[in-house]
Amino acid sequence: MVKKPGQRTGRRLMSSESRTAHLCMIPAYVGLVVLTYVPLLAVFGLSLFKWEGVGTPTWVGAANYVRLFTRDPYFIDSVKATVLYALLSVFGSMIWSMVIALLLNRRIPARGFFRAIFYLPYVLPAMAVYLGWSWLYESNFGLFNYILEQFGIKKIMFLGSSSAVLPSLALIAVWLSGNLIVIFLAGLQNVPRVYHEAADIDGANSWQRFWHVTVPCMTPIIFYNILMSLITNLQVVTPALALTNGGPGNSSCFMSYLMYLYAFRNGKLSYACAISFTFFLIIAVFTGILFATSKSWTYYEGGPN
Amino acid sequence: MASFRSVSPERAGRAGGPDVLDKKRVAGGFRPIPTRGAMKSRKRREKVANVLCFLLLIFFSVICIFPIWWIFRSSLMNNAELFLWPPRFIPKHWLFSNYARTLKFFPFWTYLKNTMTIIVPSVLAGTITATMVGYAFARLRFRGKHFFFTLCIGSMFLPTMVTLIPLYIMWTRFFHLSNSYLPLILPYFCGGGAFNIFLIRQFICTIPRELDEAATIDGAGYFRILVSIIVPAIKSAMIVVALLLFTTMWNDLLQQIIYINTSEKFTIAIGLSQFKGSLKSDWSAIMCATCMSFLPGILFYLMGQKYFVEGIVMTGMKN
Repeated sequence: MVKKPGQRTGRRLMSSESRTAHLCMIPAYVGLVVLTYVPLLAVFGLSLFKWEGVGTPTWVGAANYVRLFTRDPYFIDSVKATVLYALLSVFGSMIWSMVIALLLNRRIPARGFFRAIFYLPYVLPAMAVYLGWSWLYESNFGLFNYILEQFGIKKIMFLGSSSAVLPSLALIAVWLSGNLIVIFLAGLQNVPRVYHEAADIDGANSWQRFWHVTVPCMTPIIFYNILMSLITNLQVVTPALALTNGGPGNSSCFMSYLMYLYAFRNGKLSYACAISFTFFLIIAVFTGILFATSKSWTYYEGGPN
Repeated sequence: MASFRSVSPERAGRAGGPDVLDKKRVAGGFRPIPTRGAMKSRKRREKVANVLCFLLLIFFSVICIFPIWWIFRSSLMNNAELFLWPPRFIPKHWLFSNYARTLKFFPFWTYLKNTMTIIVPSVLAGTITATMVGYAFARLRFRGKHFFFTLCIGSMFLPTMVTLIPLYIMWTRFFHLSNSYLPLILPYFCGGGAFNIFLIRQFICTIPRELDEAATIDGAGYFRILVSIIVPAIKSAMIVVALLLFTTMWNDLLQQIIYINTSEKFTIAIGLSQFKGSLKSDWSAIMCATCMSFLPGILFYLMGQKYFVEGIVMTGMKN
């Protein structure tokens, strides 16, 4: 991963090099220690205590976790909601951004303009986006219900019914996935032309070319995009904060939101830490699965490294 | 990949097989072209496909842009027109006065000022420190580099949600910073996040080392190289990092809610979330506020668009 350093001469140079390096690295040292890994340990440590923000913490061992998995009325639902939302969003945004990127990759006029349009939602502030979409989803006068009516479908309470709320929020996430399009597009442009031409000579039609040339060359990019959007979407909290307050019922009470409620509304800091740490493990499992399976379906030019 | 069944031996022979084909030879007319007629029909087919794709793109981009248009047109309507059924797609009267009305009870400029008070120092600090750290990782040799690089990449997979509570305790209990912007700003003095450090590092790795070496021979020190060779060369990456930090902070409603308690310190995001609660169904005012909040992001994006796309491309590619 790290490149071999070039030739260096003399001891003095070396020491000045590493001095500069450590100076440059100070922000990273502080960030990694104080803001990242110590808090990670602290979250686990704190989850083994009972502490509500005042007084001295008392040791309870795994009691918080036991309560979380056996008696907490919200936790299991929140895990389900988070995972379902993340899978829907990742799946939807992968398909949407791949299709758009494939279209943008053709020789057509005004590509830059189109790319800007598809990217635009990504730069809008999330809070405003959710507020705006809540009006589109409005159950009596909203745009989406008008469109549904044109197709003869009955009005839906997009954000007000527990079965529709997660797909509705996931749709917003798909709309916001402009950065994936740009990354896919870059990947497509990096597929070596020779491969396409070689396949062409071998008599492959465009579908076969897509499936046997484009897709294999794109697998590292697909992997990267799935990974990034999975991590982002598992962390979902803003729609619950901004729009649904976890409702209706608990159907959009995401894990992060539940953690926020416990920690900052009820003051149960150490219990919320148990949720945080479980959340961390869930993300670790998902990324672990993704990495473990990636070897069998990603293709790296020049072999795996 | 090379699993096509229809490779006839003579064709493979003529082309020399896909393995020995390279760009130059293909460009030099080495590619076997069957007949002129087949070529022509192929070209026509491709043209038709391109036109179809163009139309599809127009369709999709209309879908993509339509929510924004709908929000905008709603901001220009009065509430009576807003609740018409079937709805109007274009407002009858363009009531820009709605914005003036909204500004009376939505202190957008205060919110914007507050948001910028957080964003400007964070973006500057984040970009500068990310460049420093990225430079160390890309170019310099030092003890523990590999170890810290692994830690750094590892922290990309560590969600901010996980460390939220310990950090909250740290800022409010140890540093006694409640109702302050500092807990939102100071973390950005630590490299602006692993992702941005990684992005800068990838960019620096693409700059030829000979440039550094030439500068070293000319007597430049490592800081000098960073400032006068690396920074000019990675300007676009730095702009990307700045824009990414901007959007990250812009969107970070949760931390803002946690650390800011009084309304005169509210940011745009908190202001919007409160505004909705206080208005319930004055949708045209809510849509005005929404549109106003869209603006700074769009402006920032348009200013740096060229770099933005270029830089994101880099992060995706060099993995």
